[in-house]
Amino acid sequence: MNFGRLSYVLRETFASFRRNVTLTAAAIITSAVALLIFGLTLFIQQGFDNLLVQWEDDVELIVFVQPEASADQRAEIEQALAQQQGSLIETFVYCDVECSLDIADQLFAGDPVTRDMLNENNVPTQYRVVPSDAGELEQLRGLSDAWRELPGVQLVEFAEDALSTVDKLKSFVSLYTVILSIVLLIAAILLIWNTIRTAMFARRREIEVMKLVGATDWFIRIPFMLEGLIQGLLGSLFACFGLGIINNRWTASLDEFPPLSAFRAMYVSSGFAFERMIWIAIIGMLAGAIGAGIAASRFLDV
Amino acid sequence: MIRLENVTKVYGAGSEVVAVHDASFDVAKGEFVFLVGPSGSGKSTLLRLLNRQDRPEAGAVYVAGRNIVDLPSSRVPQLRRNIGNVFQDYKLLLNKTVFENVAFAQEVIGKPKLHIRQQVPAVLDLVGLAGKEERFPHQLSGGEQQRVSIARAFVNRPLIMLADEPTGNLDPATGEGIMRLLDRINQIGTTVLMATHDQRIVNSMRKRVIQLDRGVIVRDQARGVYE
Repeated sequence: MNFGRLSYVLRETFASFRRNVTLTAAAIITSAVALLIFGLTLFIQQGFDNLLVQWEDDVELIVFVQPEASADQRAEIEQALAQQQGSLIETFVYCDVECSLDIADQLFAGDPVTRDMLNENNVPTQYRVVPSDAGELEQLRGLSDAWRELPGVQLVEFAEDALSTVDKLKSFVSLYTVILSIVLLIAAILLIWNTIRTAMFARRREIEVMKLVGATDWFIRIPFMLEGLIQGLLGSLFACFGLGIINNRWTASLDEFPPLSAFRAMYVSSGFAFERMIWIAIIGMLAGAIGAGIAASRFLDV
Repeated sequence: MIRLENVTKVYGAGSEVVAVHDASFDVAKGEFVFLVGPSGSGKSTLLRLLNRQDRPEAGAVYVAGRNIVDLPSSRVPQLRRNIGNVFQDYKLLLNKTVFENVAFAQEVIGKPKLHIRQQVPAVLDLVGLAGKEERFPHQLSGGEQQRVSIARAFVNRPLIMLADEPTGNLDPATGEGIMRLLDRINQIGTTVLMATHDQRIVNSMRKRVIQLDRGVIVRDQARGVYE
């Protein structure tokens, strides 16, 4: 594109902005709101993902060993666990009699009668097993069933309900936030499309003259696409500004939760936020330019 | 320069209207031709077929030796750069000055600024609008607005000029001025096709006349009159 054409494109783009100030402002504000909500759904999803990862990290399988189990039986249990390490099991630790009594102290702090029934001779020792991925319910269920059959195993506690809830929540949050994001993005594109279409309708006479003197479709389309791109960019910049403020306030308010509260995991790191903001700006620009390009095509049939 | 071979154009999908039926004629380079006939006789449709605003249902339309019926859309702008269009309602851009309106036709086909600064004043001088470059259309009379429209059509030095009722909105004296201008442009070498039902103008010019009636060519006469 030579300098003459470039200056023509820029002049036409900004002239159109001036002519349609109200409409342009409306498109920028509405696309900013749509992109802000789109960004918020991404942040909410990330917060939930962090929360779910923490829940999953806290999930353990506990293999209780009979107090009278022999050293060979314990070795057999340990070997079975070690076989899965690196695949389904991330790690496991053995909690001996002393450790098991410490846990009993915590568990039955409010129930001294039950606690008094446990002593060095009858407390079951335990292997505390951390799964690699707590979401792999089927495999973990099969594994715990197999361990139950091992000699010397008293009980395998598998927090299946908790894991199932985690899994369902994860699917729910990702499915619905993705759907919501797509719907909002389409709304933003339609708003910009409509603005450009209205701007083009106002200039249909000019477009007709351009076509009749031999302007190419792209020559006519480019100023409108640039206008859409700038609207999308401005909308996304406002959206990113809003997202930055909301995320700062959210992160600050998380500190008010008690130190061990799971909600503290729902933070969104500034690195993640910045990366998503860049994506939102790119999406805003592309949506604006493409929406405007499609809207422009409608009036080029002269 | 222009040749139509058995051209038929039909509008409407359900209740079809035959706008042009089996029309054939040749126009040589540098000719001046009037298309005459009552409203709805197909004059404007013929002009629209010549700059590819419409395509015929049957027949061939040759412009400068090339059949434009099957011309790919990407080549249509190139065709139109060789055709100037003048309209009854001028189609001027009201937010642009006289200079900008004429320069617009050069800008949109990518002519350099220096070229535009040289060409536009020369063409405005030719059409008698020197000194009115900075005026807006609403500050001009109807005749002056039509002169701007002709300047815009001529500034790219087209091979053909298509004028659709260019005097339709003007009083007789102003219309005569416009006709003198079109005649001058024709004498420079531009082929002119003008649709009109202004009997007085056709009779005074004594140019070739093609008469249409309900889409059919009923008369093609050299140095003809309106009838």
